[in-house]
Amino acid sequence: MTGIVQKIRSLQWQHFVFILLIAAVAIGSDGCKTTGKLSKKERKAQIEMAKKQLSEIINGTSTRPLEAQERTVNEIANKHFKDPELDKMIEDARQVLKKAFAERDKLKQEKIDAARAELLDMLLNKDDKSADELESELAKIKAMNLGDKDINDLIAKVEQKIAGMRNKKNVPLKNQLENSFQGIADASKSGNANQVMSLTKGTLQLFSSDDATVLIIISKEGSIVDYDKPTTIKRYLEFVRDQKASRNAVDSYRLDSGGKIKDLDLIKK
Amino acid sequence: MKIRSSIIGLICLLIMTSGLFAQNKDENISPQRKQAIDSLALEKVRDLSKYISIIGNKSTPWSESQRVIERAVELFMENSEIGVSSLSKPDVAYFKVREYFDRLMKLNYDRVNIDWYKIQYVSDLERQPDGTYVGVITIYQRFQGFDKEKGLIYEDTTKKDITVYVKRKETQIGGRLIGFWDVLLGDIRVKETSK
Repeated sequence: MTGIVQKIRSLQWQHFVFILLIAAVAIGSDGCKTTGKLSKKERKAQIEMAKKQLSEIINGTSTRPLEAQERTVNEIANKHFKDPELDKMIEDARQVLKKAFAERDKLKQEKIDAARAELLDMLLNKDDKSADELESELAKIKAMNLGDKDINDLIAKVEQKIAGMRNKKNVPLKNQLENSFQGIADASKSGNANQVMSLTKGTLQLFSSDDATVLIIISKEGSIVDYDKPTTIKRYLEFVRDQKASRNAVDSYRLDSGGKIKDLDLIKK
Repeated sequence: MKIRSSIIGLICLLIMTSGLFAQNKDENISPQRKQAIDSLALEKVRDLSKYISIIGNKSTPWSESQRVIERAVELFMENSEIGVSSLSKPDVAYFKVREYFDRLMKLNYDRVNIDWYKIQYVSDLERQPDGTYVGVITIYQRFQGFDKEKGLIYEDTTKKDITVYVKRKETQIGGRLIGFWDVLLGDIRVKETSK
């Protein structure tokens, strides 16, 4: 026992520390060897996981947005697993995504084209839809969120038109009629046939029929009222267009049960 | 018997008196009403001048010209005639209204300008025994015919007299009795043609 103690004592502390360091390095390197084995397993698992994700993309079973799928493919590619099968799958997935993006762009363009046509129709309003009807159609287009500048501009124009139609409703009928007559005369003077047509059509809609009577008062003296030869609203609007002038103001009108004008009295301005 | 004849007599008297009143109502037109009628007749002539410009305009579509011709013809009394003169011919040719407009539409120029001006009465509207008011309105017509290459190739100024007939009529519209003045144009006679 004493011998052992003496032997220990005879050992230099530097040697002891050195030995301890060697042991520590040895243990440490053994630990590293263990971690290396886990990394391989991990790598394998990661490759498997990557293959699974890529398969979903290639087979088109992934429900994630295309952008997220593309991110996944890039992340897998950036890990450089150097697995030939995985590399082939990355390439396949990229091709599938490229096709999907192209398909999505094509669909979007088709939607934009259809929306543009619909919005232009709404601006012309050939079918004479009400402000409410136009607004409901516009809401559907807006809900598509197409994110296209032209479409957004057209949406703004249709919104303006609808607002204009709503404001028009608040204008008294007398003013509406006089504005229409003057508008037809001005448009005819400037040779704007489309505007003449559109205003004429819009004005005729205020009447129960194209043949609604129009009387023009040429003089009023007490109870005696003198008129020009009776005409119809269709003929009167043609007359305003031909003469390029609106010479009469609205004196009075009578409405039918549907709120449309059944006869109109004008008076010389 | 006496009573019956008295009643009949009274009814006859009433009818006659109401007829006279009706006649007086038209005969004694106030200056204000007369002025309105004068203006109405002048306006019809101005309307015609616009129609003539549209019909003569080579850029007016055919269907549109036809519609306007109908409107123009409606301004005239039946069988009315319009005189046509030329600097190159001493005689004035007269055509029925519709024929005149058809010829006007087909004039052999590439472009035509027709302007009416100095539209005024030369003979005021006068009441005739049948209640019709008759007057004469004179107009000056400036005609210019253009060729695509040569430009202006013909122009003249013609003074024309238009007889106008105005009659008060009545019609029932939607339960209302409407008294209106029916203005119709008669012949358009050429008075003089100059360059």
